[in-house]
Amino acid sequence: MNVPADLRYTDQHEWIRVEGDTGTMGITDFAQHALSDVTYVELPEVDREFAKGDELGAIESCKAAASFYAPLGGKVVEVNESLDDEPGVINTDPYGAGWVCKLALSDASEAGKLMDAKAYEAFCGDEN
Amino acid sequence: MRELAYLDLGRRAYGPVLEIQRRVLARVQREGDSASRLLLVEHDPPVITMGRRTRSEHLLASAGTLAASGVKVFRIRRGGDVTFHGPGQLVAYPIISLARGARPVHAHVRDLEEVTIATLRNFGIASERKREFPGVWVGDEKIAAIGVAVDKWVVYHGLALNVGADLSGFDLIVPCGLDYLGVTSVSRILGRDVPMDEIKPVLLECIEKIFGVKLIALPPDELINGNESSKTSASAPAGVA
Repeated sequence: MNVPADLRYTDQHEWIRVEGDTGTMGITDFAQHALSDVTYVELPEVDREFAKGDELGAIESCKAAASFYAPLGGKVVEVNESLDDEPGVINTDPYGAGWVCKLALSDASEAGKLMDAKAYEAFCGDEN
Repeated sequence: MRELAYLDLGRRAYGPVLEIQRRVLARVQREGDSASRLLLVEHDPPVITMGRRTRSEHLLASAGTLAASGVKVFRIRRGGDVTFHGPGQLVAYPIISLARGARPVHAHVRDLEEVTIATLRNFGIASERKREFPGVWVGDEKIAAIGVAVDKWVVYHGLALNVGADLSGFDLIVPCGLDYLGVTSVSRILGRDVPMDEIKPVLLECIEKIFGVKLIALPPDELINGNESSKTSASAPAGVA
């Protein structure tokens, strides 16, 4: 399982990369594997505000739709529109081309409360 | 062996059962696997449900036709396309924890397909999954629809198996968005009217085997009490404690 060291993680298997006051989020390698072939991504609306833990959107795979949530609170500033045409990149490159959206974070320091790579790896280990 | 409580809700309207699903979902999210439930139901009156991204042209009937026929349309949060539920169709909703992703969603969907295929096999019907289309098929005709939703790694919605011979409700839609494939049912294939009570115990047994659980019957009131709407004619089916 791929767990990049420079990201923060939630117990719902989202990741977030914080750069300044902006957070780029997506779903983890563990989550994409659990969902298998992603066929559609319901993206959040740009400019909408979300509190931490609010439902941002959903990922649809073989006959299943799974919700994903805001790792941190903030306003959506950009969504990965290329997922409309190529949702499968969530499976092949979940931490890169498969990013889901960018948030203008209301408090970037909150990221420190999320799991780091080591803690997340342990968390996934427990789940198995 | 893990126990899973199930409730046979009999014939019941879609809306109240969706509410029950949501209530169980919230409880499993809060309390964990012990709150998991399997619901069995026949939806009455008939409804059409649309998945998150169902295109509206897959709904063939006009608003007027639907209103005249008393068929309500629900847009719900499951995966998959449009489908029809009505009397004569056995619906099973296992609302269970996927242990935060440790049990893959695709494995759960596969188990639902397998439960359907095994149930049909008991009646001498050979069915299969199609790689590219969801559901369970007998030749080019669909006999069961499968669609689930995952919320905080708890899965809900499930499978709908056509048992009775009357499939006219499907004329209102393009089932699963596939306009060149038909639908069928257990009664149509066997050429006799197969009652629900004949198929339910078989389905339950297949769920036990394939999910690896021991099913425990609970009286339907466990979830219905406190639910204000629609106390329909729950036809207390045999086998329910």
